Amino acid sequence: MMTAPQSWLTRYGVVAALAALSVVAAVIAPGFFSLANVSTILLHVSINGILTLGMTFVIITAGIDLSVGSLLGFAGVLVAGALTAPGLIASVGVAGAAVVAVCIGLAVGAAVGMANGALTAYLGINPFIVTLAMMTIARGAARLVTGGVPIGFPPMGDAHFQQKIAALDALHAFGGGRIPIPGTAQGFPLPALVMLALVVASAVTLSRTRFGRYVYAVGGNEEAARLSGVPVRAVKVGVYAISGACAGLAGVLLVGQLRSGGPDAGMLYELNAIAAAVIGGASLMGGIGSAWGALTGALLIGVLNNALDLMGVQAFWQEIAKGAIILLAVLFDVWTKRRNGGSNP
Amino acid sequence: MTLLTLRGITKHYPGVTALDAVDFAVEAGTVHALVGENGAGKSTLLKIVAGAEAPDGGTMVWEGQPVTSHSPREALLRGITVIYQELALAPNLGAAANIYLGMELRRRGGLLDRGAMRAGAAAALADLGLVIDPDRPVQELSVAQRQLIELARALVRDAKLVALDEPTATLTAHEVAHLVAQIEWLRAKGIGVVFVSHRLDEVRRLADSITVLRDGHRVWTGPAATIDERTLIRTMVGRDVVFERCPPGRPAEPAPLLSVQGLVRGRSIRDVSFELRQGEILGLGGLVGAGRSEVARVLAGIDRPDGGTMLLDGRPYQPRSPADAIRAGVVYFPEDRKRQGLVLGMRIRENVTLPTLARVARGGLIRADAERDMAQGAATRADVRPPDIERRAGHLSGGNQQKVVLAKWLLTDADVLIFDEPTRGVDIGAKTEIHRQIRALADAGKAVLVISSELPELIALADRAVVMREGRVQGEIKEPLTPEAVMALAFRSA
Repeated sequence: MMTAPQSWLTRYGVVAALAALSVVAAVIAPGFFSLANVSTILLHVSINGILTLGMTFVIITAGIDLSVGSLLGFAGVLVAGALTAPGLIASVGVAGAAVVAVCIGLAVGAAVGMANGALTAYLGINPFIVTLAMMTIARGAARLVTGGVPIGFPPMGDAHFQQKIAALDALHAFGGGRIPIPGTAQGFPLPALVMLALVVASAVTLSRTRFGRYVYAVGGNEEAARLSGVPVRAVKVGVYAISGACAGLAGVLLVGQLRSGGPDAGMLYELNAIAAAVIGGASLMGGIGSAWGALTGALLIGVLNNALDLMGVQAFWQEIAKGAIILLAVLFDVWTKRRNGGSNP
Repeated sequence: MTLLTLRGITKHYPGVTALDAVDFAVEAGTVHALVGENGAGKSTLLKIVAGAEAPDGGTMVWEGQPVTSHSPREALLRGITVIYQELALAPNLGAAANIYLGMELRRRGGLLDRGAMRAGAAAALADLGLVIDPDRPVQELSVAQRQLIELARALVRDAKLVALDEPTATLTAHEVAHLVAQIEWLRAKGIGVVFVSHRLDEVRRLADSITVLRDGHRVWTGPAATIDERTLIRTMVGRDVVFERCPPGRPAEPAPLLSVQGLVRGRSIRDVSFELRQGEILGLGGLVGAGRSEVARVLAGIDRPDGGTMLLDGRPYQPRSPADAIRAGVVYFPEDRKRQGLVLGMRIRENVTLPTLARVARGGLIRADAERDMAQGAATRADVRPPDIERRAGHLSGGNQQKVVLAKWLLTDADVLIFDEPTRGVDIGAKTEIHRQIRALADAGKAVLVISSELPELIALADRAVVMREGRVQGEIKEPLTPEAVMALAFRSA
């Protein structure tokens, strides 16, 4: 696995922080380690966790993707729209419509992500600006498509009421489904399983594939990578496509979970994803980050929110606590870098 | 009157002695030229005069008073202005704002007195023969005009000593004539001028006295009229060749592998033709800025030429990217290892296999054992010490870093290898080792092009040399390849 020494320390520092926080939470709120609560945390973390994975790919190349929250919303309304289109249900059936809707979510996300990457890589526009613009465009498009109201649950007396409900239920089996675990009432949430599978896939991609190696090389030294024959532009298009596809998938899961696609869904989620990636050890300067770090960062935010919930702390304090953790994580990174002689700019 | 006297000035950088007990003095109303090869210590000396660097030893006397503290600000207050090659102007501001930068005229109440600054700037510029709108952003002006703005800044500050670092390097003949006239005017006003230039004809025309630096030592100081150009060149380069010459182990192939005809790119490459054969090392000589690296970048597919033809093994060669060039068998060892050669945060193994990763990957997945074996073999062949391929490139010495770059390109099995300053910043032991390896590559039938600003290195390595000046090939030297012959071509006046 490609991690610089200081991010090694940072990563285990965050793991230690996560463990310490969990112990404190368990002492204060005895239900913390119950299977029900753990699976609730994982379910709540899964959307942000998936966005964070995509974001981590982008950040390792020294880029940034501000469009993922809006893209989640845009993909979500298209997914919900396709899912509840009577014509589609009539021609491919309820399960077929759900499959098509999932594909639409992934394809739209990946396509918009590729556009982000192409504008950054081929026209040389700063990714902050490109994805900021795309954030606004995607949000506007989501509102335009829906007329500003959520798509999904049909009104009473809708001509295709039964089919639409059946289609929403079909996707809910994915986005809100649980895998039964013997001896428990609830089972394990499917979105969390999807996230964990993606963590493994991302970890393998980043550490074991040519593409992954190129991602680190581009972020570590773009000029040296280019002179070594690395297809820098294609790599950039690739990481933004991955980030977009993750946003699309998160949109699919959210629509499944809520049985509805709202035009304002995913607002500010990009910032949570950036925060989790940075807490997980990814460096905005590029070249450093990992899939396990992304998971750890997303979990830390999720556990913190959950623990403060269990303690009955006001939501406003949770925001302040999250901000403080981001600062601490970065300070820790700076500190370990200094201790390592700062050899790695 | 003596304005500035430096005695026994010494400056060390890690691993290098840039200046070794150098004496230097500037008289008011004279032009004192400072000449020497690249790396002789001229820039360091100017930085010490400007207060930008503190010497490790030696004394400084300004207008008869010993100087104890000499920061850039104190240098300005004493009346010393140094104009660097890379001009220190804010590109988006106008001439007036730049001239008064840091010493703005203000009205009562603290608001800028823009009228007074505009008038002052226009007057100073007019003295220098430049009539421009003082509000026009300087980025829209020519280099020559920007230089005059820096000179105007010195005038407005009432500078007593003005130092110019290679001011004529990028100017046209007409612009040079104008600048020379302005320098003569400054001298007539009683200002002491330090003039650094590679153009020896200018130096001899303009200077009252000349100081020659070589390897951080002052080797000659005297009146300009007492030295002719040939003696001057010999004084600049006349040192023992420190490298043993590596003789070729085989004759070069008769037919060229790479031939370049009439290459043109922008202002930096104006007309370059040469041929490169398998089994030989061709040196590309010339001064910094002569366009040598630019030629290398075109060959390596980094930049595209505006004109000219390149043939590789008899077929047209037009690389569209570095990846293209690598596929065609042309690799480039960049001048700046840290910025262009290595990903410092990555391990030696990861750096070494970057261009050849496809060879140890199956379906996109890297086979870890195969990668390790490949990297280990290359690192051992390139003599990386210790051959621990899991170390990070950023933690290695300069010599080891260069060997990692060498290991990386050895794996591509390229036919044409272009080395740009292969031993810059490398200690002497590693230098000899890298030279030996470069010769071994040529003996193994590779075609090798070496760019080096270090003459002894060029002489030791190359079988023959092509010398460039101002974007053009000035000539080719076969036997005997001597420093004097290279310098004569590199410096030949226009």
